[in-house]
Amino acid sequence: MNVKEARVLNGLGILMLSIAISQPLQAQTSQPSPNNQPASTSHEKTPPSDNLPDAPSGSKTTEPSLGDLGFPSAQTQSNPEEQARLDKRTHMLKIHQRMGLITTVPLLATLLTSLNAGGKNTSTTSRNVHNALGAVTADLYFTTAYFAIRAPRIPGTQTKGPIRLHKALAWIHGPGMILTPILGIMAYDQRNRGEKVHGLAAAHAPVAIITAGAFGAALLSVSLKF
Amino acid sequence: MNKKIVLLFLFVPLLMALPVFAADSQWVLEQSTLAYHVSHPLHQTEGMSHAARGKGVCHDGQCDFLIAVPVKSFDSGDSNRDLHMLQVTRGAQFPMVTVRTRLPETVASSATINADLEVQFAGQTADYKQVPFQLTTQGNETKISGTIPATLSDFKIDPPTLLTLPIKNEIPVRVEMTWRKQ
Repeated sequence: MNVKEARVLNGLGILMLSIAISQPLQAQTSQPSPNNQPASTSHEKTPPSDNLPDAPSGSKTTEPSLGDLGFPSAQTQSNPEEQARLDKRTHMLKIHQRMGLITTVPLLATLLTSLNAGGKNTSTTSRNVHNALGAVTADLYFTTAYFAIRAPRIPGTQTKGPIRLHKALAWIHGPGMILTPILGIMAYDQRNRGEKVHGLAAAHAPVAIITAGAFGAALLSVSLKF
Repeated sequence: MNKKIVLLFLFVPLLMALPVFAADSQWVLEQSTLAYHVSHPLHQTEGMSHAARGKGVCHDGQCDFLIAVPVKSFDSGDSNRDLHMLQVTRGAQFPMVTVRTRLPETVASSATINADLEVQFAGQTADYKQVPFQLTTQGNETKISGTIPATLSDFKIDPPTLLTLPIKNEIPVRVEMTWRKQ
């Protein structure tokens, strides 16, 4: 064997060695295909545990994991307490919504019976019916309000959208619902004494109309899109 | 002579390994708009999020993509509705929506693709087969748009009601994303 042949053999040897060394490198970076199937179909065959977003990347699979996306851990972690708070909030607001709808029935009836309760030609019976319906309305109203007021607040929530109007209107119909029965009792007493409704009691009807209007608007504000 | 052999010994394996590394590429989600649509007899509502993050890893001509978005990040313009959405979708317990898909690396040059999506949401996993998306590629950027035909029942979500009327089961999710190849 001359020098030239020795060099060629050396070169071939190195080349073979290089190929042998590079194979594991390729094996490490290629896509794992457990059943020797093409990569395009392995998505459906991948075990469910490998598909979990939190599955660590780079161990068995090269699929990106949720950790690779850089979300703060607080944002990706489950929060059962907050879920319980949301569940309670929704439950209470559902009752609030239902009670609010129920309240509209005696409210409308109270408004209708007010036509016979006031004015010159009224009877004690019509005033009593109006009075009773007003009392039922007030009771249902405050029960409705209770469920909204006591519903848990979710920290970090900025109120926006129609709910802002809904809440703002509560500042009108809330005090209105306190004032209206008080003024109503005053007016009722004055009428039963045979007096003409006078003084503060004379504001009973206007306050009641404003209150009912605000209540109706509050109901519509979260029901209709405008 | 010995020096040359040593150099050859060192560089040939590296040169041979190069194509393997060169074939690997990554995609990063640059911008996104995800919007779900809700239909109710009294309302048509859209909740939108721009907070999605995503990554695609390509090997051997196949790319694995993961897109994730916090449930909390969807904004419908009504905080009350958003909190209700968060509650019904169990968004505090399962705070992320994740979408996984595998696509051939060559699709970046196509005008449309049909992707098989695996969506994890509200503690459930749903598969959507052959969802069509439109692609526009300019340089290293690829814009993708399409609609995922999601439904509430796919994720075992009870339809929320307003004035005792439930919303429709269909909640299609419009997707607009810009990906950058790295």
